[in-house]
Amino acid sequence: MTEFQVLNTRAPRLDAPAKATGRAKYADDLSMPGMLYAAILQSPLPHAKILHIDTSKALKLPGVKAMITAKEAGLVKYGVSPARYDETLFAHDKVRYVGDEIAALAAVDQATAQEALSLIKVDYEELPAVFDMFEAMKEGAPQIHNEFPGNLTAEVHQEFGDTDAALAECDLVVDHTFLNKRQDAAFIEPHSCLAVFDLDGKLTLHSSTQVPHYVMRTVAMVLQIPVGNVRVVKPYVGGGFGPKCEATPLEMSCALLARLTGKPVKMTYSREQVFLHSRARHQFYAEMSLGVKKDGTMVALKNKAVLDGGAYTSFGIATVYYSGSLLGGPYKLQAMKYDGYRVYTNKPACGAQRGHGGVAHRAAFEQLLDMTAEKLGIDPVEMRLKNIMTTGDMTVNQLDMSSLGMKECVEAVRDNSDWKNKKGKLPKGKGIGMACGFFVSGAGYPIYRSDTYHSTVVIKVSEDGGIANVLTGSAEIGQGSDTAMAMIAAETLGIPLDNVRVVSGDTDLSVDLGAYSSRQTLMTGHATKEAAEHVRAQIAAYLAEAMGCDPASISFRNGTVRFNGGPGDFEKIRTQYIKEHRGWTDPPSGEYLTFREAARLAYLKGGTLVGTGKYKPPRLGGDYKGAAVGTSPAYGCSAQVVEVTVDLETGQVTVDDMTDAHDCGLAINRTSVEGQMQGSLSMGLGECLFEEVKFDSHGRVVNASLGEYRIATALDMPNVKSIIVESNEPNGPYGAKEVGEGAIMPTIPAILNAIYDATGVRITELPCTSERLYMAMRAQKDKK
Amino acid sequence: MKTIIQLTVNGEPVEAAVEPNQTLLQFLRDDLELTGTKHGCGLGDCGACTVIVDGMPVNSCLVLAVQAAGREVLTIEGLAENGKLHPIQQAFVDKGAIQCGFCSPGMILSAKALLAANPKPTEHEIRTAISGNLCRCTGYQKIVEAVQEAVKTIEGMEVS
Amino acid sequence: MLLPKFDYHEPSTLEEALHLLSEFGGNAKVLAGGTDLLVKMKLKIDKPAHIISIARVPGMDAIIPRDGHAVTVGAAATAADLSRHELIKERFTPLALASGKLGAPMIRNRATIGGNLVNGRPAADLPPACMVLNATVKLKSNTAEREVPVSEFFRGPGDTLIEPNELMVSINVETPPPWSGGHYIKLGARKTLEISMVNVATMITLQSPDGPILDARIALGAVAPTPVRAFAAEELLIGQQPSEELFRRAGEVGVGMCSPITDHRGTMEYRCMMIEVLTRKSLEASLEQARSWKP
Repeated sequence: MTEFQVLNTRAPRLDAPAKATGRAKYADDLSMPGMLYAAILQSPLPHAKILHIDTSKALKLPGVKAMITAKEAGLVKYGVSPARYDETLFAHDKVRYVGDEIAALAAVDQATAQEALSLIKVDYEELPAVFDMFEAMKEGAPQIHNEFPGNLTAEVHQEFGDTDAALAECDLVVDHTFLNKRQDAAFIEPHSCLAVFDLDGKLTLHSSTQVPHYVMRTVAMVLQIPVGNVRVVKPYVGGGFGPKCEATPLEMSCALLARLTGKPVKMTYSREQVFLHSRARHQFYAEMSLGVKKDGTMVALKNKAVLDGGAYTSFGIATVYYSGSLLGGPYKLQAMKYDGYRVYTNKPACGAQRGHGGVAHRAAFEQLLDMTAEKLGIDPVEMRLKNIMTTGDMTVNQLDMSSLGMKECVEAVRDNSDWKNKKGKLPKGKGIGMACGFFVSGAGYPIYRSDTYHSTVVIKVSEDGGIANVLTGSAEIGQGSDTAMAMIAAETLGIPLDNVRVVSGDTDLSVDLGAYSSRQTLMTGHATKEAAEHVRAQIAAYLAEAMGCDPASISFRNGTVRFNGGPGDFEKIRTQYIKEHRGWTDPPSGEYLTFREAARLAYLKGGTLVGTGKYKPPRLGGDYKGAAVGTSPAYGCSAQVVEVTVDLETGQVTVDDMTDAHDCGLAINRTSVEGQMQGSLSMGLGECLFEEVKFDSHGRVVNASLGEYRIATALDMPNVKSIIVESNEPNGPYGAKEVGEGAIMPTIPAILNAIYDATGVRITELPCTSERLYMAMRAQKDKK
Repeated sequence: MKTIIQLTVNGEPVEAAVEPNQTLLQFLRDDLELTGTKHGCGLGDCGACTVIVDGMPVNSCLVLAVQAAGREVLTIEGLAENGKLHPIQQAFVDKGAIQCGFCSPGMILSAKALLAANPKPTEHEIRTAISGNLCRCTGYQKIVEAVQEAVKTIEGMEVS
Repeated sequence: MLLPKFDYHEPSTLEEALHLLSEFGGNAKVLAGGTDLLVKMKLKIDKPAHIISIARVPGMDAIIPRDGHAVTVGAAATAADLSRHELIKERFTPLALASGKLGAPMIRNRATIGGNLVNGRPAADLPPACMVLNATVKLKSNTAEREVPVSEFFRGPGDTLIEPNELMVSINVETPPPWSGGHYIKLGARKTLEISMVNVATMITLQSPDGPILDARIALGAVAPTPVRAFAAEELLIGQQPSEELFRRAGEVGVGMCSPITDHRGTMEYRCMMIEVLTRKSLEASLEQARSWKP
């Protein structure tokens, strides 16, 4: 990989200095003259008819400028997937969870807005509520949406091969069940937005979002604003991880209030509201049977998923497909059957969160694999190596592993963790465990049915100075996409990274579906590369004309131009440039023509120098129902080994060591890739050991704070040995594919498998708190 | 009723009228437009609002503006001098310790307070110093490495 | 999250503070570190009309050794100060350990011992430590002054003996006798930023390094409406030769003194089991410290 000038290095991020100095402006940092503050009225009840809303007292409060309910907002239905548009901006006939939005208002300051909320009087008729997904599916359960009887948002039934027959042929079939809990993404920056309507009726929405494009479309649709008049601009974003992948009531309320008042309107969720809004990880129940041959060969898998999705669909229809499709790999299977159910309950809606529907079922499966290996007397690492797929393989559900460095990842973590000398040799209370996983590099299809490009990029080169401005609708949310695109542009143009600027996250710039399903490195990367190639070709054409040579003989390298590999005779071009810059003290010099001069020549000859690039995956996937979900142009994969110490007297778990290998195809920026790996592991550790959104018997979130919803602190996380594997993905720009979500897949099961190794106890319900583990160890001791 | 307070912020004297129920965080962000200090939770659970008051890192969401009267407050905006990054900031940039950046101001200030009191901390001491600053992006590792790097830089600067 | 409106007072002398308390009494709250009070106000649990800050009252944060036989800790001494103070670490170990485990660094820089005691939370870190040290608290009003043992200070969750017109000004602790050692353990989910599920402070005094136990004190937090002294468990230990078995039995007895609840942090059953385990562990650590006592 040493042939790259810019790629595969540890270039510092473009946005790091702004973030390190406090200059970076996030949504709540924005302020405009005359700005109003908005607040949302949310339901205190989990399920109730709205009989009457009286806003009269609130409107009379001095300082309140506007009030909206379903009456003003209208009833255009929306959601994430058009197949499941099941929500309106405000509840009109009934509320479906504690937190459901009923009204919003704008006032001169936050205190007035909060006081006004308390003056809104709503008459409810309480309805019976249901909080458990299994209860919700039963006959006679309260119906949450009339259009979805049995509270089933979505039901999936897929079969590849004859699973029953295949299982019957197996030497061993092992069954397993697993349950996780609802989680929260816990990004440190709460949702926030500032909406401005100009006098021409054009909306600009500054919002902390991962998906400016989807927000633009939803806002235009729901508020019935011509889509060409809606601009969404993403400022700096303090993390997303999934819940910021859809338009929020916060955004739509602010937009509507901005239109009504003619003033800029800002709203930021409190931390509690972030928990109530959720759109985070579903609760998953997994039930699986794995059939194997006695030599350890995997044959068939039966998999069932029941998902608690809360009161609205959000991403749920995709989530329930992923719980099945993402078990098609990274191991070879001959047959697979999947039945999935996504259920409504009277709780906040669940959506997509890092790893989406794959995380819980991957955890269940990797545990099941370990259990199976143990029964056969096979080492867990050997069990994986025996069954993993390789580059070029196709899963049983027709996902194409165009590159898959799974073997390299497994061997890397085995060797770097000293697995062979530790497994089976650690004292009681200490354990080592491993697991694997994989994930899409971008969903194969957009959320709405369309032939749209998934990413388009414009590169405009400055008329002087040789600066490349990359203009992209893609969303930098902390994962490093701006820097990655700059590096791809720099590499392709043959210029130093320092000469590239990125403007991003603005729907006026280009269409990009945004930061979700780990798509931007591959998809936006392709579009960026193409745009840069387009620019380069134009410059080469003008140079060829000026120099009287073949454009194919021109190459760009590190800010200079080669003609047939040599300096060429560019005297005239340089002389003209210097003439135009009489008096300047930094004339271009050196043996080679500079990019600066070449770009200026191109401008003088052709005017504005703009390159465009676009990307959309080829038609992917099989012909069966739901085949789309799980398809991707490429798959990243990951293996992890974790070591733990368990305090056998209290059940407390300390994660001592983590070794992680991730195949990202090609690391555009090595530091960024490691950062995403380490961050994924810390979220996985938190989800495994501490994280759980808890409810009381009235459907209220009991721990809606970062004190009681516990994410890993610096004292909980160990150091991670991060190993980058590069399998050179043919479908990725320069061979690159994802890292952002594939890296979280093995973490939970690796920790659980290590805990089993340390204690002989298998925890099949998350989180593995000290109490849960302690009680399980005691129960096991009592059994003996 | 507003009170006039006088304090020093980032080395500069400041005089302002504040409401008693205004937190130091609100005062810094809304009145002084120093938006580098962030609001993550409002309850002291996340550390995004960390500032240094009289040399000690505190959650500014749990300090009243009036309580800061007569005190020296250092925010993230006060670290870089004449456009040059403080060694801790530079180390965060160089080591990839910043992803979304929302926890970074608080982290950097906690690190600054640590190194002022303990110029050669162990890894455990670094992790303890930042244990009240939550990060969801990095897993903390590169943050710890950045602080270790800053230790060396500062040491080198003092020698030369 | 917004704070409600209130009148703010910042007395510069103790007399002024006490006068304000007598005037506003039940409608006022004392503001020290603010890490509890301001949180409660933001959550709308407390809405005092008046806030009396003691930040400018001189001497309230002082930690004053008294000739080797005691120490007087100002009620406004912070957890950070207590955790780092050499004398507290050496002779009043449970208090230093508990202070060091409270919250996280930024919280410790503001949270005060007075606040931690007066807030009366069952799971607070400092009360059990103060109890095993037999600390007394000095409460002052503008007309009177009294000293109350910490063991008698707590009445129920959030309910203590302090009157609305009183201010806690200091905590007095007598230096434990030679061959004493103390410890504090906290059980939480993460390694920091935790509110305890169970916490245990212990203090052991030996007759001699190899000798029997002269005195033992065990205090448990988060397992009853108030922090409790496990007197029956202590009695079991006094006069006995220390051993793991003895400590285990003490732990068992300690469970009987508690009435933990099941809440979203943990069940009653688990808490009971942990009382046993943590009491034993804490006693073992106290014993080790007692044996290595140096003048």
